[in-house]
Amino acid sequence: MNDGGPLLEVEAVSVRFGALMALHQVSLQIQRGEILAIIGPNGAGKTTLLNVISGFYQPSEGRIRFAGADRTRLRPPDVAALGIARTFQNVALFKGMSVLDNIMTGRLLKMRGNILTDALWWGPARAQELAHRAAVERIIDFLEIQAIRKTPAGTLPYGLQKRVELARALAAEPQLLLLDEPMAGMNVEEKEDMCRFVLDVNGEFGTTMALIEHDMGVVMDISDRVVVLDYGRKIADGTPEQVRKDQAVLDAYLGVAHE
Amino acid sequence: MSEVLRGLVAPFAEIAGNPAFFAEVLIGGVAAGLMYSLVALGFVLIFKASGVFNFAQGVMVLFAALTLVGLMERGIPVPVALVLTIGVMILLAFAIERVVLRPLVNQEHIILFMATIGLNFFLEGFGEMLWGANVKRLDVGIPDTSFKIGSVLVNRLELTAAITAAVLVTVLALFFQKTGIGRALRAVADDHEAALSLGIPLRTIWTVVWSVAGFVAIVAGVMWGAKSGVQFSLSLIALKSLPVLILGGFTSVPGAVAGGLIIGVCEKIAEVYWGPLVGGAIENWFAYVLALAFLLFRPQGLFGERIIERV
Repeated sequence: MNDGGPLLEVEAVSVRFGALMALHQVSLQIQRGEILAIIGPNGAGKTTLLNVISGFYQPSEGRIRFAGADRTRLRPPDVAALGIARTFQNVALFKGMSVLDNIMTGRLLKMRGNILTDALWWGPARAQELAHRAAVERIIDFLEIQAIRKTPAGTLPYGLQKRVELARALAAEPQLLLLDEPMAGMNVEEKEDMCRFVLDVNGEFGTTMALIEHDMGVVMDISDRVVVLDYGRKIADGTPEQVRKDQAVLDAYLGVAHE
Repeated sequence: MSEVLRGLVAPFAEIAGNPAFFAEVLIGGVAAGLMYSLVALGFVLIFKASGVFNFAQGVMVLFAALTLVGLMERGIPVPVALVLTIGVMILLAFAIERVVLRPLVNQEHIILFMATIGLNFFLEGFGEMLWGANVKRLDVGIPDTSFKIGSVLVNRLELTAAITAAVLVTVLALFFQKTGIGRALRAVADDHEAALSLGIPLRTIWTVVWSVAGFVAIVAGVMWGAKSGVQFSLSLIALKSLPVLILGGFTSVPGAVAGGLIIGVCEKIAEVYWGPLVGGAIENWFAYVLALAFLLFRPQGLFGERIIERV
């Protein structure tokens, strides 16, 4: 399976909501091990693209292949089972649960199949719980959130909530991690921390990542490649340097005089 | 003045004067309390898995009891009828998931709540259409008679009901507290999208939970039905479990048990000893007053999750 081909291929995908074309014939590839940034003005279709990849929206046209296999029509839980984890633009934590429990839910897929035997088999079930707990503790150390382990997630400041959401996604040990504006609403310091974590996760676990980000400084710093969307179409795809000089991108962001 | 004083003190003297009778009252309270717990449990399960107060839980109890009695009236032996009823409730769970819940994924909780109100009226009518609206006797083979332990009188039917409820509640509490599925349930209740993105199969969880709630409804229906006949008022005991939920917390299985016991025991004691002083019938409203008082001091209930509001 690990043939060195792209991890994810989006082939001419369109998403239509009634008369609105949210995505128009978008094709892109995510290579194994890279950090891909998806940028574009508001309403360009970035989150729609993420939702299509993670199965929340079904494409009207086009195909999606993951690790070489077609998976255009999968539902979110099946996508998760394939090894694709994600975070949400408006933090979607389980607010009443502790940080620890939140991250533990990220391991539910790994516990699957034991849901019914769990209740009957005390020994193995407990051993399993402990093993998962150990994995979660490693992630907690890694993201430096030891002190808030027992805190209800809903009471945390926004920046920390984003970090816990990243931890929960990591707990699933994904092959592909989709981050929807992981640094939105953060101050400079929090952004620097988050950048460091993203790079560390990529470096240490080799996790492939696609992230949506508005802060161009961040995008240029951490991404290997940048895809630019505008009005649902892909207008550029290349290294940060190439994209920075691309005329279509400049036009999209700065506007262009129509004569 | 002395009247009031006597009213407050006299019942205590009565309790001290006849401990055996007090024990009977206590046992009666515990038995009733466990039955409340049983109904409350159905609410808790669904609330945990969808954050929705299932208005139709009481009618599910009635529907389950009606189905069981209806099948028995047609000459089907009790064990077979019981298995068939379980089958019907599981089918119902599948249907509810498919027809009611699935189209409403990610909607506001209030919308799901409205849907359960609709479900309530549908089940009520459907049950009557299938099985008729008469009061029916449910005989499960346990005599409604009493025996003595020492000098304390104990009712066989109540004892059986209490033991059944206790076992069921313990099993469910362990299942949902100690296993991964408990966490999955809470996750689903908190945020559908996030739960889906973690690979939690929403539909399966909902079907399982509504099936279990249906099963709990059968047990409650059988116990209450055997005690007071299968009739429409059975669906009203759901209202009695509201104060139980407020006391115990909507999200806690042990809370449903503790809440049920507290309500059951308190209202029996209040009825027997203080009832005569105010002309009786305390039992009907005492639980609600208790719940109201509780809301003031601990709105999340004894065991409920902390209520978090970020301003």
